[in-house]
Amino acid sequence: MLAWLLRRIAASLAIVFVTVSLTFFAIHLAPGRPFMPPDERPMNPIVVHRLEQIYGLDRPLAVQYVRYFGALARGEMGESFSQRRPVAHAIADAVPNTLLLTATALVIDFTLGILIGLFQAARARRRSDVALANVTLFFYSLPTFWLALVLQLVCALWLGWFPTGGPTDPVMHASLPLLGRLGDRLYHLVLPALTLGLVGAGGTARFQRAALLEALGHDYIRTARAKGLAESAVLVRHAWRDALLPVISLAGVALPFLLTGAVLIETVFSWPGLGKLAADAISARDYPLVLGTTLLATCAVVLGSLVADLLTVAADPRVRVTA
Amino acid sequence: MISTLVRSPRVAVLLPALLAALGGCKGQGGCTTEYCGTVVFAASGEPSSLLPAVSTQAIERDVFDQVFLKLADIGPDGGTFGDSGFTPELARSWEWTDPLTLTFHLDPRPRWQDGPPVTAADVAFTFDVYRDSIVGSQDREALAHIASVTATDSLTVVFKFRDRYPEMFYDATYHMRILPAHLLRNVARATWQTAPFGRAPIGAGPYRFVSWTPGQSIELAADSTYFLGRPHLRRLIWRFAGNLNNAVTMVLAGEADAVEVLVTPANIAKAKADSALTLYPYPGSTYNFVRFNLRANGDRSKPHPVFADPQTRRALVLALDRPQMVQAVFAGNAKIPPGPMPQLWSWLWKSQLTPAPFDTLEAVRLLRGRHLSFHLAVPSTSPTRVQYAQLLQEQYRRLGVTVVIDQVDNATLEQQLESGKFDAAMESFQTDPAPSSSVPALWSRSGPTNWGHYANDHFDALMKTAASAPTRAAAQAAWEQAFAALDQDPPCIILYALDNIAAVNRRVADVRIQPDSWWGLVRTWRIPPSQLTERDRAGR
Repeated sequence: MLAWLLRRIAASLAIVFVTVSLTFFAIHLAPGRPFMPPDERPMNPIVVHRLEQIYGLDRPLAVQYVRYFGALARGEMGESFSQRRPVAHAIADAVPNTLLLTATALVIDFTLGILIGLFQAARARRRSDVALANVTLFFYSLPTFWLALVLQLVCALWLGWFPTGGPTDPVMHASLPLLGRLGDRLYHLVLPALTLGLVGAGGTARFQRAALLEALGHDYIRTARAKGLAESAVLVRHAWRDALLPVISLAGVALPFLLTGAVLIETVFSWPGLGKLAADAISARDYPLVLGTTLLATCAVVLGSLVADLLTVAADPRVRVTA
Repeated sequence: MISTLVRSPRVAVLLPALLAALGGCKGQGGCTTEYCGTVVFAASGEPSSLLPAVSTQAIERDVFDQVFLKLADIGPDGGTFGDSGFTPELARSWEWTDPLTLTFHLDPRPRWQDGPPVTAADVAFTFDVYRDSIVGSQDREALAHIASVTATDSLTVVFKFRDRYPEMFYDATYHMRILPAHLLRNVARATWQTAPFGRAPIGAGPYRFVSWTPGQSIELAADSTYFLGRPHLRRLIWRFAGNLNNAVTMVLAGEADAVEVLVTPANIAKAKADSALTLYPYPGSTYNFVRFNLRANGDRSKPHPVFADPQTRRALVLALDRPQMVQAVFAGNAKIPPGPMPQLWSWLWKSQLTPAPFDTLEAVRLLRGRHLSFHLAVPSTSPTRVQYAQLLQEQYRRLGVTVVIDQVDNATLEQQLESGKFDAAMESFQTDPAPSSSVPALWSRSGPTNWGHYANDHFDALMKTAASAPTRAAAQAAWEQAFAALDQDPPCIILYALDNIAAVNRRVADVRIQPDSWWGLVRTWRIPPSQLTERDRAGR
């Protein structure tokens, strides 16, 4: 087991190194250049050249590559061109916002998805199951940005129930007491988290329903029923435990999403998270920031995958033996 | 009743306000005077640094113009000739000691927001920083005519010029915001781009920096001791919306009070229909054009097969029905400039110049039956420019001219322009108040951003005459001649200059927009006590 774990960690580190290296060359060789102001006043080429000197972009690419990994080994991710501050600071500011948004969305996604899946499986092929199947399919197939725009238009602009964007109210937030500040945060979180959660729940519900229906066909379920157990106990205590394994795998795959965030949702709702940070960095050709966010996302993916494997091992003794 | 409650008050603050009531209020202050207002600006972007010497973006200027001051600022008429119309800021008065020497006498009252007085040494230090190539200021070249700036005593500073020209005073005052030498002298010049001061600036302006929450907002607070008069608005907040559409949405939802431009007819219509908003038109400082590359795409040593010929370029100008395009895209909320100029230069706009006409017959004659083909690079981030490119493509198609539209992001477009790897590009240019610095930068043979390699010695000579004209009337006549020369040998197709329209919440009074720095006059805005809301009274 320990040898397996060590092999997995070594493979994870290799994946991170290769991914960051590929990103380094891809972003440097991609068309476009940094130091492009977002408005319409062109940068004087002399100033651009000076900035390239300041940030070491006038050196050969191989030298920049070695310097980047040298700095990374010392725990430095460099200075962001577009934010003019350390990449680590920019990422540190974005991570809590993304974690809050995506963790809330995942809670909505899995809670709602699992409950709907359970409900559907218990009433398989009845009218309510068919109706919910159509509803979940509808949400599952919706582009998230479209749902975000519709919710923003209806719930924020027309009805005025929720704010159009941002994580807090910049006018009132600082003057509110602790409870008020918490409420303000949650209030701003509703629309973006709901958008992500609803779309995700559509998929999770379908997944959970299919897994439960498969589990309900097994022999041990027939045995449980023959023993006279209530249908709810059969469903929840016996079938659901078995049907939870694929959902756990799904959650493992979803874990990296906690950090990689949701670019489109963060853009629509002006949510200052990692996804928006990465998208802005790419369009500004902010190489250190692109690499910083890539590094973090890659780490999240390999870590998520590792955690999912460990959870599966813990939940299923058969997998433990193989590992 | 419930639906009315839900809809009408723009309840973006409803829940926090309720929770505040539940949890007990803090920091509300109960402010009810003339000096209580809070204005939230919806900003499309976010600053990189608030240190004026290394700033490159309009949003940065919007914010730091509240924190830092110039020696004097351009007056309401936008004049840049001589010193008439300029209003004193840090300088109380000035005089010309000789034709090349300008002496400023500083006002003794202003103090840096951390205590020390503003002195002539700060002015000399600021000039030294702006001119230092290591710092890499965008305004360095604009100060090239000034040989030296010397402090002769604590309140007197002397500017020595290299040569004599009409906009000497403008150059001495417009480009530099005076910086605190005592706080910045020990910051290594090579690190100014990333100096922490740029994220927590200290100036001598009407507002003090309060906070910057990355990705969210910047807050400034009025300096009640400001020597030119206490600002009426107590708090200014820039809220980063990420893009123009989000910014407009925030204003329409009542979550922000002002947005500097609306741009599209749809946004203008929505803002007009919103009774909570007042619209303020003002002359814009940008113009949009299609730049021709006179050198072969990717090979500067060869002439471009299409655009090297002046007659072809003129034919392409005449072949476009630009009034119809302005109508189709902007519903008339833009104008066709008679030369490479924004609406900001209104004195020049009022001249005898007229845009080249829509004349397909003449265009066909000049094209001599040739079938042309070229690529047009368009920034994909600008839907209006993409729409313009499609209209242009269709109009040219009828004349047998094939246009291939290449939608690219801004960073790629900029690189293509710089490396000469383009045929034609649709661009927008934000100008200074003075044509003498903005026109040559793009269209003179030696202009640093003359990416199309346009070379017209006659035009260059006329520009030189215009830039050295002693009066505005003489300059107007000279610019007319220069632009007439451009009309015959066009380096570009001038497409449109927007009618800028700002939307500001109706409760804000005395709103004046400064075309070259939108929120530059915000210290004169106020919210009458009768119009104050809970948001205006809220404080930290």
